[in-house]
Amino acid sequence: MDVTMADSTAAPETGSQVKVIFTTTEADLQLPESKRQLLVPADIRRYGLSRILNSESMLATPTAVPFDFLVNGTFLTGTLEDYLKDSGLSFETTVTLQYVRSLIPPVYQASFEHDDWVSAVDVLSQTSPAGRWSGDAFQQGRDRILSASYDGLLRIWNSSGQVIATSPASSLGGHSASVKAAKFLSNNQIASAGLDRTIRVWKYTESDDQFSGELRPTLELYGHKGPIESLEYEGTSKRILTASADGTIGLWSTSKSSAPAAPTELLPSTHSTKRRKISSSVSTAQRGPISLVPAHHAVFDPRDRTVGYSASLDHTVRTLDLATGLVVSTLATAHPLLSLCAVPRGSSPLLAAGTSARHIAMVDPRVSTTTTSVMTLRGHGNKVVSIAAAPDNDFSLASGSHDGTVRIWDLRSVRPAKKDEGGGIGGVSEPVYVIEREGRQGKKKSVTGDGCKVFGVAWDKTVGIVSGGEDKRVQINKGRDIFAS
Amino acid sequence: MAPKSADKKRKASVQEELSDDEFNDLDFDGALSQSEDEFEAVSTDEEDEEDDGDNDASEAEEEDDEALHSDDIPSDEEEVNDAIEKLLKDKIEPGVEADGKDDDDDLTAEDARGQNDDDDDRPNYRVEKDANGNERYVYPEIDPVYDSDDSDAQAPENTIGDIPLSFYDQYPHIGYDINGKKIMRPATGDALDALLDSIEVPQGWTGLTDPATGKPLQLSRDELEILKRVQMNEIPVDGYDPYPDTVEWFTSFEEKMPLSAAPEPKRRFLPSKHEQKRVMKLVRAIREGRILPYKPPEEREKEEEEKEEVHYDIWQDEQPRDPHVMHIPAPKLPPPGYDLSYNPPAEYLPTKEEKEAWANQDPEEREKEYVPQKYDSLRKVPGYDMFVKERFERCLDLYLAPRIRKNRLNIDPNSLLPKLPRPEELKPFPTVCQTTYRGHDGRVRSLNIDPSGQWLASGGDDGTVRVWELLTGRQIWSVRLATDEAVNCVRWRPTKGTAILAAAAGEDIFLMIPPVLDPEAEQENRAILDVGFGHATSGQQAPLNVGQTPPAKWARPGTKLEDEGVLIRITVRSTVKVVSWHRRGDHFATTSPSGQRSAVAIHTLSKHLTQIPFRKLSGLAQTAHFHPSRPLFFVATQRMIRCYDLQKLELVKVIQPGARWISSFDIHTGGDNLIVGSYDRRLLWHDLDLSTRPYKTMRFHEQAIRAVKYHKGGLPLFVDASDDGSLQVFHGKVVTDLMENPTIVPVKVLKGHKVVSNLGVLDVDWHPKEPWVVSAGADGTCRLWM
Repeated sequence: MDVTMADSTAAPETGSQVKVIFTTTEADLQLPESKRQLLVPADIRRYGLSRILNSESMLATPTAVPFDFLVNGTFLTGTLEDYLKDSGLSFETTVTLQYVRSLIPPVYQASFEHDDWVSAVDVLSQTSPAGRWSGDAFQQGRDRILSASYDGLLRIWNSSGQVIATSPASSLGGHSASVKAAKFLSNNQIASAGLDRTIRVWKYTESDDQFSGELRPTLELYGHKGPIESLEYEGTSKRILTASADGTIGLWSTSKSSAPAAPTELLPSTHSTKRRKISSSVSTAQRGPISLVPAHHAVFDPRDRTVGYSASLDHTVRTLDLATGLVVSTLATAHPLLSLCAVPRGSSPLLAAGTSARHIAMVDPRVSTTTTSVMTLRGHGNKVVSIAAAPDNDFSLASGSHDGTVRIWDLRSVRPAKKDEGGGIGGVSEPVYVIEREGRQGKKKSVTGDGCKVFGVAWDKTVGIVSGGEDKRVQINKGRDIFAS
Repeated sequence: MAPKSADKKRKASVQEELSDDEFNDLDFDGALSQSEDEFEAVSTDEEDEEDDGDNDASEAEEEDDEALHSDDIPSDEEEVNDAIEKLLKDKIEPGVEADGKDDDDDLTAEDARGQNDDDDDRPNYRVEKDANGNERYVYPEIDPVYDSDDSDAQAPENTIGDIPLSFYDQYPHIGYDINGKKIMRPATGDALDALLDSIEVPQGWTGLTDPATGKPLQLSRDELEILKRVQMNEIPVDGYDPYPDTVEWFTSFEEKMPLSAAPEPKRRFLPSKHEQKRVMKLVRAIREGRILPYKPPEEREKEEEEKEEVHYDIWQDEQPRDPHVMHIPAPKLPPPGYDLSYNPPAEYLPTKEEKEAWANQDPEEREKEYVPQKYDSLRKVPGYDMFVKERFERCLDLYLAPRIRKNRLNIDPNSLLPKLPRPEELKPFPTVCQTTYRGHDGRVRSLNIDPSGQWLASGGDDGTVRVWELLTGRQIWSVRLATDEAVNCVRWRPTKGTAILAAAAGEDIFLMIPPVLDPEAEQENRAILDVGFGHATSGQQAPLNVGQTPPAKWARPGTKLEDEGVLIRITVRSTVKVVSWHRRGDHFATTSPSGQRSAVAIHTLSKHLTQIPFRKLSGLAQTAHFHPSRPLFFVATQRMIRCYDLQKLELVKVIQPGARWISSFDIHTGGDNLIVGSYDRRLLWHDLDLSTRPYKTMRFHEQAIRAVKYHKGGLPLFVDASDDGSLQVFHGKVVTDLMENPTIVPVKVLKGHKVVSNLGVLDVDWHPKEPWVVSAGADGTCRLWM
């Protein structure tokens, strides 16, 4: 009876109006109490609502701020009328619209060609962590992009696509095998690690004309017995956290004086029978780890620098106490985990773990919580190997996958999981935008990303989303001022 | 009397039959034949009696009847004789025997006897002397029974005739009866009576006096009714139909019992000349067209209309002419509409290629059984050439046709399917290709994932062994072992912490250490490989007879390869196809199918020692594996797998999969189950405890199965790789309970490899922990499915 009543009243007349209440969580965009309720036409879309909010009578923003509208936890994609019909609501119900600054679709900017697969990328800019750590030493406008490649070289690019510096070959103190992870430590320090099981800290100097530079190895850190898969740096404590395929997490110091001595049996020079004698002409200081924790892919907690998190192929996410080097807690998930990213949220971060089962599991690492798997982000067609959190908000992510795409997710939009997705464990989100590899445009696209796998993603506020992959390119995508504010 | 007695006889026989039936009902089968005999005996008896009756019908019919009625049903031949004797006695002394058996017949019998007694005992008349002294037979008064309709016996009748009764008024009598006695006037009542009578009219009072009796005449209601009817001039009797339906005694139907027995008159058999005359008249009229056969009026009208239209065949003598506006050629006859015609239209005629294709096809596979053929005219169509063959086949069909009607089973076929869990419930298993490893030039023959699950080794036709990063598909290391030989097999040493790779290329087996380890571990690995050199030089190997070549030669492969990481080369006598490690990593077995006596060899790494365990091997060895936990050794030849105890050195078991040519097999980690893949497209599951025959046979592939593999990391999965370019993943759970059989469910077909020159997927391997499969294809790629 109720349904028929609703149907009869919901008969869409032209020009029917819906009462909406605007709410927001963004402090700078609050509406005065009196203006929050409004009657809007039922066939209005996101753009119309956004214009209403931007109008003089409402927020009176000096420049138009594009908004997205969340209704009941999901983004409004069609008209309000469609939403009401789909959810079986009467036209007389008052709809609560939460307006948020919208994500602007990233636009392709540039590709930088390499000789070999690009394994990792990082950005140095005013807004990047490394830029912040270097403080005043960072000069405005000297944005740099670091790329690590499978040919064992690191390259530093300026924003116009010119190589400013390349790391030396292995005979000159460079990596003897592929580099799999690299990070700016500050505007003049770089750390990299890879298949040769060593972490190298480089000193980076630039000439005054900013068109040439030099990478000089300052430190070699030994201790891992397997290839190093990822590397994280924390600027205030000057600690490097690495994850290796031998199942250990290494915590390292970047200063020569404070780092312990390197384990001699792992140094290549100690063995005379080494098959390819590396006659390095450059002698670099060799140091060992502060501590090694048995775990895998690791990140620092964005708030608390004594806590680290790691994700492993053995399906677990571990919380590490870096001060003591102990595993605090272990959370089991259903799939092998390949990448990890901490999204700052309240007192404790939310962990986004990329799995080999083509999705991203959002894990709450707190011991107290009952449900560990908060949300699942579905949409990738292959292993998710790299995740980067948005630099200026705590609800969006960029993930790079072997399917050759970088996908951007908005954690605010959640729908309940369907049955075939293993319903019941939190919600499911779908990507907001998908960035394809520019070099593959026009070619036949394969779902599994054959030949265009993405290996590394970095998201910076000023530079944009930087990704590198099997197509031997670093690709930069940027929303036109991606978060308009 | 005769028909009655016949009736009785019939009745009796019916009785007998009835009782006989009862008997039959009561008795068992064994007596059935006996009872039939009895019945026959009785019936013959009856016939005899009947004959008797016919012969002396007049004399002893009744007695006969009685005897028959009284007779017991004879049940034996003796009894029959007794009955006959009795019957004869009865004839002599009739009516002696009383009968108490049948009520109906009893009654009639008694009546009959009563009459008989009167007749026979004394005459029913008396002889008296009449007035003349003559004898006079005085018969007793016939006493009419109650409802005798003798209407004559009435009260004495007046015989005075038709004179007025008043003549006798002075006399006390009113007339005389038939015997001349006076009929006395009935006493009249007194006046009071008369008065009463006149006042209260009695039933039927008429007020008249009956002249015959002198009593007041009283008429009953019926009589009054009749009088009334007579007065009304109607038929006096009620219900009399003066005009009944006539009974057609003489009709055209021939009755079974005709009223007349006269023979058919002759005229009935002779054709009537008159009729013939009339018929001939009609015939003549029809011939002359004076009489037309009947047609419905509409048709007739139509015909008449048509008669008026006149058609002319303008193309009667058509000559071929050049096309011209004014010339309209004759319309073409419609072509025959189907290809079975002797003159089919051209589009139905097959081309030469089609004809050839038809001829080359198997008769069973042909779409049509004939080829359309064109003949100019029906006259030129030859005799049916398949006639004899078709007849023969028809005869064959009839001859071989099954004589038993086949009962169609009315069972829902779905209910016969075994209850298998849905594949979705059996997750995880590999579903899609996620990484492709490109780099090999030519076929990839073999691949293997190292025990840590990070590295994939592959070897192929280009003579190289390559090591790949498993997840990214990046080639880490490559070494060319041979320029003209393919790498047939690559296998990692299955122990943790080591990265020793064994690869077979041609007659050489290489042991190598790819650079995936840290220096310390690599040093340890090198030590493992090198320890045997000391052993060999210290002369602890078994001394060889003079002239006998050692089964294998262990040596360094040369500095060039040594720099690459290849540390040992073992040269055997023939091409090695399969390498299989013992779980501890100290022994490995190689199989070279062409090696005859030295087909299977077991190599000991720590001693650099090669042994040939079999002096003689029946059949070509295909592959050999060590048991995962016990000291057993499995060797597969083309058709059998033999299991040897390595400690006792004896044959333990022979497994017969029933395949024609085994390509590969794998042993479950539990050690009690075996999967076998064969080149004849079969995948067989063996339960070693159960039988030497396969527990389950699966034929799902269209081409030969090249490789089979169990998951070794605890997941209940196995996979096979086939030449049709696909892999099939099965869920095969081995339960610890001995009573329960393993459930095998096919869960996924993985397609992606291209088939190159009839070769599809050549090797397959599982990740040691995850449900990931890698496969080596003839298309030069390896693929990771997850």
